[in-house]
Amino acid sequence: MAVVKVDKLARSVAEGPSLMTGSIPTKDWMDVPVVFKPGNYAYPTKPEKLRYLDSQQGVSFPNAREWNPEDEDWKLPDNWKEIIMQGLADRLDRFRSLKIFMDCCVRCGACADKCHFFLGTGDPKNMPVLRAELLRSVYRQDFTLAGKILGKLAGGREMTTGVLKEWFMYAYQCTECRRCSVFCPYGIDTAEITMMLRELLHLVGIGINWAMEPVANSNRTGNHMGLTPQAFKGNVDFLCEDIENLTGVKVNPTFNRKGAEVLFVTPSADVFAEPGIFTCMGYLLLFEAIGLDYTWSTYASEGGNFGLFTNNEMMKKLNAKMFAESKRLGVKWILGGECGHMWRVVHQYMDTMNGPADYLEVPRSPITGTVFENARATKMVHISEFTADLIKNGKLKFDKSRNAHIKATFHDSCNPARAMGLLEEPRYILDHVVDNWVEMPENTIREKTFCCGSGTALNTDEIMELRMRSGLPRANAVKHVHDKHGVNTLGCVCAIDRATLTSLMDYWVPGVQVAGLSELVGNALVIEGEQRQELTEGLRTLV
Amino acid sequence: MELTEALVTKKKEILSLWIERTLDSYAAPGFFKKSKDLFANPVGVNITNGLTVLLELLVNNAEQAAYSKPLDQVVRIRAVQEFTPSQAMAPFLELKWVVRQIFSGQKDTQSLLSMLDTLDFAIDRMALNAFDIFAECREQLYRNRIRELKSGSSILTDAGCPSKLVQQEKMDAGTII
Repeated sequence: MAVVKVDKLARSVAEGPSLMTGSIPTKDWMDVPVVFKPGNYAYPTKPEKLRYLDSQQGVSFPNAREWNPEDEDWKLPDNWKEIIMQGLADRLDRFRSLKIFMDCCVRCGACADKCHFFLGTGDPKNMPVLRAELLRSVYRQDFTLAGKILGKLAGGREMTTGVLKEWFMYAYQCTECRRCSVFCPYGIDTAEITMMLRELLHLVGIGINWAMEPVANSNRTGNHMGLTPQAFKGNVDFLCEDIENLTGVKVNPTFNRKGAEVLFVTPSADVFAEPGIFTCMGYLLLFEAIGLDYTWSTYASEGGNFGLFTNNEMMKKLNAKMFAESKRLGVKWILGGECGHMWRVVHQYMDTMNGPADYLEVPRSPITGTVFENARATKMVHISEFTADLIKNGKLKFDKSRNAHIKATFHDSCNPARAMGLLEEPRYILDHVVDNWVEMPENTIREKTFCCGSGTALNTDEIMELRMRSGLPRANAVKHVHDKHGVNTLGCVCAIDRATLTSLMDYWVPGVQVAGLSELVGNALVIEGEQRQELTEGLRTLV
Repeated sequence: MELTEALVTKKKEILSLWIERTLDSYAAPGFFKKSKDLFANPVGVNITNGLTVLLELLVNNAEQAAYSKPLDQVVRIRAVQEFTPSQAMAPFLELKWVVRQIFSGQKDTQSLLSMLDTLDFAIDRMALNAFDIFAECREQLYRNRIRELKSGSSILTDAGCPSKLVQQEKMDAGTII
């Protein structure tokens, strides 16, 4: 083996970068162009999906075309710059928050080292402050007096195709998890800056397929997968058969039933994909155990709302279907399953987008009588709030030994934790359904939880490397409790988590499985008349 | 001075330069070098800890099996970052240069520069071990991709939906474009 050429290396030390490790000299960030290569970008939207969406009411997705991020020419419309600048002007006018976020950052750096993308890549443009600066520099140049006069001296820069490409790269290296916002002394919501970047890119036909195909499917059939009502019902029926085989309990869910007290909405992944289906079996068993008068909808068959990762109008439209369906069926309130971003949309945007939902009642548990005052505006209760209330009122019977195979820790899913403050209820549930669970280190849980690294429609396989490095901070904390306490199960309350943390664990912490909390509830739940087999792996046991 | 004795004496300096050069392979390494909190700074601290253990093992002529864990700690991270495979592996081989750099700077160790064959051999072995782990990590990535693809999402999407089929028929018949 050739020994390293010392003279070359010595020179490289003197000159800065290492020839071997690929370190690059420190340049001004504005002067480092982005390079697209396989593994660092998600595939662009298929033109037919975009054309379909553009033909739909209430939304606009122009400039559909075949294009490749690796090509020099992105086939932008001739007046792309005008479109972008006008789009930015419109948004500065419409969203006061955007204007404030553009102006008030003092670049203190508190957010810089809090982003999982920065922590996993060491790329300065993944510091939230610098990611925002990608937009802010353009804003300064054209929308502030100092920028108009001083240009680059005032931190401004021209909008070029290079800048546009940078936007595409980094708007899709942010999962809108909002961890950085927790540390910002001004409360700048960097996620909203990412949302604006993505909106602006859509104006010129730039987006990713993993966001837009689920959006198109949700618009068309009501769920991400494009499942028909029959297929959706068929899948739930399969799960019911499994439940009966495992526990001897016959559950009979209803679909599209008018007059039910409660409408249940959950991510469609719970209905067809492992490990979500075990969470779904947990829901079905719980509702059977308490005799809840509820219905599924095969139209509002998706809790997830990839519109949040796309643009305001799309988010509004997809959110509206849940409420329209609740009105059509005449239910009193909505119970929501273990979804992440659905809860951000519901808690932070729904009321001003589609509210007030005054045709619904303030949610009241028919089993315990508890009124969920916190859901007075949205009329929607989280399954963990609902379950915790049942436990607190002694309405559920558990046998923790049925979870004896589990040594758990809990991952606070970003949106339920940071966007709706769901911190205590999942822990309260865990206390009652498993004997053994431990917390991860303090700076990786609750409001400071680290993202799975694959949110906001970045859960696609072509960027697996990117997902693994952005998920490292989360995985690193799991690894700690796995090594120290023998943790073998990562509990969470989000469908994207259930899918993507599974891949993340397979890479970083083999031996840790991912489970929705309701699965663990279903494992331990004692139901009258049941004839449960010896289920050594709970609802996952193959019999 | 014997080689082993010199390595023990200069361990701190060697380690410090080795870690610094490895972390310099990142575009903005300041934070990776500074923060000592494993959970706030997983890349910096895991790499620092991994390299620290590896040097300890080299100095003590440890069994090859003992290298796997600390190598994994470093390689698993670099295998998913934006490095070419050679860049990801480079830090291990670069230790040879680091040791020479430290030894050549001081009189008492200069005479050892021509006697580093054994150490070089041990470092090569460590690098080859690292290469195995690197390949394993990349294979795991592809296994993840295949597993996700096989989860069935692509089969369910766009299949069997009546409205989609009608649309397809119309497209085939040329009634809509």
